[in-house]
Amino acid sequence: MIPFRRAALAVARRELRRERRRGTVAWVTIPFGVVALLLVPLAVGTEQVLLRRIGPGLYWVVVLLFGVLVAVGDHDGRSQRDATALLGIDPVAELTGRALAATLLLLGFELATGVAAVVLYDLPVVGLPQLVVVMVLVAAGLGLLGTVAGAVAGAGPGAALVPLLVAPLAVPLLLGATQTLDGFVQGRSTISWILMMIVAVTVSAVVVVVAAAPLQEGR
Amino acid sequence: MSQPTAPSSPSRGRVVVAVLAVLAAAVLAGVSPADAVQGELVRIMYVHVPAAWLAYLAFVVTLVGSVGYLVTRRFVFDRLAEASAEVGVYFTGLAIALGMIWAKPTWGVWWTWDARLTLTAIMFFVYLGYLALRRATAEPAVRARRAAVLGILGVVQIPLVHFSVVWWRTLHQPPTLIKPDKPSIEGTMLMALLAGIAAFTVVYGLLVARRMELARLEADLAAAEASLDRPVAGSAVTAPELGEAR
Repeated sequence: MIPFRRAALAVARRELRRERRRGTVAWVTIPFGVVALLLVPLAVGTEQVLLRRIGPGLYWVVVLLFGVLVAVGDHDGRSQRDATALLGIDPVAELTGRALAATLLLLGFELATGVAAVVLYDLPVVGLPQLVVVMVLVAAGLGLLGTVAGAVAGAGPGAALVPLLVAPLAVPLLLGATQTLDGFVQGRSTISWILMMIVAVTVSAVVVVVAAAPLQEGR
Repeated sequence: MSQPTAPSSPSRGRVVVAVLAVLAAAVLAGVSPADAVQGELVRIMYVHVPAAWLAYLAFVVTLVGSVGYLVTRRFVFDRLAEASAEVGVYFTGLAIALGMIWAKPTWGVWWTWDARLTLTAIMFFVYLGYLALRRATAEPAVRARRAAVLGILGVVQIPLVHFSVVWWRTLHQPPTLIKPDKPSIEGTMLMALLAGIAAFTVVYGLLVARRMELARLEADLAAAEASLDRPVAGSAVTAPELGEAR
């Protein structure tokens, strides 16, 4: 059996190499997210005051909805999964590696669409340390949830279910992200919201560990 | 070859008990007094609250079935989880719909961004996703395993939905029955509400039992069809016959 850390890192590297070759996140999901940010003002109005008020919320909604597509990645076909099992990779290490890669890709997605939101909606960049913490927690939470949902839904027609499975469960992340940054701007304490996000990420990580074996068995 | 066994009908006794329980609950809901503030609208609560209670019960039973399947690998637990989730989604939808009908004359809107309402809607969609996942996976063992994971994950929402009215002080009233101190409701109304909960629970039991039986028959039928004698692949291809040379 390959050691857990080595296996998880190898899986993460494999996923990132796949993304580098295919460029789905860089050339499809990120541009699509920016287009969504661009379309919203055409529907709700282009007044700067309005956009500055609703911009942060819109940004996090785009991160959640489009981030699911990043998080789920490409699900392995049966032969690929059989090969992974034959290599003796621990199912938990495999899902952990996938979640790690998804988290890194999501951070890139957040960064790219975040710059677009700041430019398009004229958003002030305040509370940088809080912003970084929130971005990392949202990326980790979505990465873990998307990985579990991808394994639950499987390849084929079930894969279309992933957004439906993840979006309702990611509500604590959306609430935490918007309320933390809003609280910082308003001068309120934001620790309870950050704690809620940490709990959500921890629960998601526990689910990955507990669910990995039954989800990956009989591959 | 396994043959599908004949369906078992629900015992007449259970059906009679369910009908009597529903009738008793309806009579009690009818004779209980109108509310001092809500007036006759309070009668919606005698269906809304039991429906919400059943949603909790159904999803907890789904959790039990899911854990049971992962531990024992017996399909009866998977069928229990499936049947309970289906009934639970129906009653969650009913609770939401009745709540909206009650809210329009009381709050002035069909929907408000109250924590309880929003979280209940989210719970509804999570279990709708659970049912969709079941439909999307054909192989029974894979379906049962994946659904069990989601059935366990989804139950996290029940305490969130129930305690949302305590944690976030929003428009929806706090718990009336399930709380540390005595129920905050008038005696006759409490009787009507408890009768409704009991009746709905009996109906739930009946529906889950029937749905499980149906799922067993579907599984038996699928197994019988799979074991039928069929021509092997390529049997239609025959060797060419060589004619006599002319």
